[in-house]
Order: sequence, then C-alpha cells, then structure tokens
Amino acid sequence: MFGAFRPTNALMGGLLWKIPWRLSRFQKYRQRQRLRRVDRVVETISNALAQQGMVSKAVETWKAEMPTEAEMLPRDKYTIFDKKHKGYRKGIHKLPKWTRVSQRINPIGF
Amino acid sequence: MSFFKVTLIRSSIGMPQKKVGVLKALGLRKRMRTVFHKITPATAGQLMKVKELIALSTTDKKLTRREIHEKRQPPCGFVVEKSRFLRSEESPSS
Repeated sequence: MFGAFRPTNALMGGLLWKIPWRLSRFQKYRQRQRLRRVDRVVETISNALAQQGMVSKAVETWKAEMPTEAEMLPRDKYTIFDKKHKGYRKGIHKLPKWTRVSQRINPIGF
Repeated sequence: MSFFKVTLIRSSIGMPQKKVGVLKALGLRKRMRTVFHKITPATAGQLMKVKELIALSTTDKKLTRREIHEKRQPPCGFVVEKSRFLRSEESPSS
C-alpha cells in the first residue's frame, strides 16, 4: 500500500499536474477525517452544554439539518451540486477553501 | 466549573471576515494557540462559527499560557540528586 510502488494516480497514469476531475483515495480519506473532526467538535459542544443544562440554537439547528459523516452518502462527501456541470455534480475539491468549509447537503430536488 | 479548551489548528487565512473576527474574539490569533472559555450558549455559538478550524475538548481546570508551555517541554534527561549550592546552604560552617 505504501512505498515506491503504491498505485497512485501519478504513478499509474503518468503525468499528473492538472487538477483531476475526481479526488484520489487519499484525498477522500482525508476528507472523511475532516468531516469526522467537525462532527466531534459539534458533539463536544452539545455534550458540554447538555451537562450544564443549556441549549444553543446554533448547535440544535446544525444537528437537525446536517447529517454526520456516517450518515452521508459517498456522493455528498466527495462531490457537490453545480448547475453548470453535466449531471449537476462536480468534485468537492473544486469548491474554494474546500478543506476548511462545511458542505454537506444538496439543494432541494438534487 | 468546566471550560472549553479550544485550539486553532487550521489557519484563518482567506476565510470570510466574519470568521476571522470570531477567532479574534475567541483570542485565537495564530495556529496552535490554545484558549479556555466558559461553557455558555454564547461561546457555543462562537465555536460553531469556526468549527472547521478548531480542535475542542472540555476541561475542569483553566491553564495559563506558561503552564501550557511547560507541559509541552520534553524531560531534561537528568535528575539533580544533590546540588553543590544546596549542600553549602545546609552546612555553611564547612
């Protein structure tokens, strides 16, 4: 899996300097880790408030609207809706600052 | 009394001005800076704004910057069993 002979896009497909249309499996792995980290932060806030007997609107709204990493479909983890793209989906790595923003749900009907 | 222990692990460079402002209000100016905040709905709201950029846990004790720094120090690798200077204090006549 690791080392000089691992099957990455650059090694299997030759030259790779443009931004590929899909994520590599290593990017996908890191994306899942990031999603889980955000889930953990929200969980920590929610638990801490619950212990003090308090609620926060921001936390409740997030928990009601957003799926956790485990609940999300692969389609939603690695791609986003785009009205200008064929099939209305494009890779999430086309989203500006995609490693530091939360993008989990689709527009209604998509 | 318990606190949120917040560490900034992703930089705010290029983030919207509102998020940068929230980080500033939380006292997170640089990456890897750790701050402690009371557990209130107000702080929770602030943390929710920057949840992608931080690592979060809860603690009972609020540490100062110096205490955090000292915790990070590696062990010096030796133990002083008896100091020359301490010995002279014990028996000043010798």
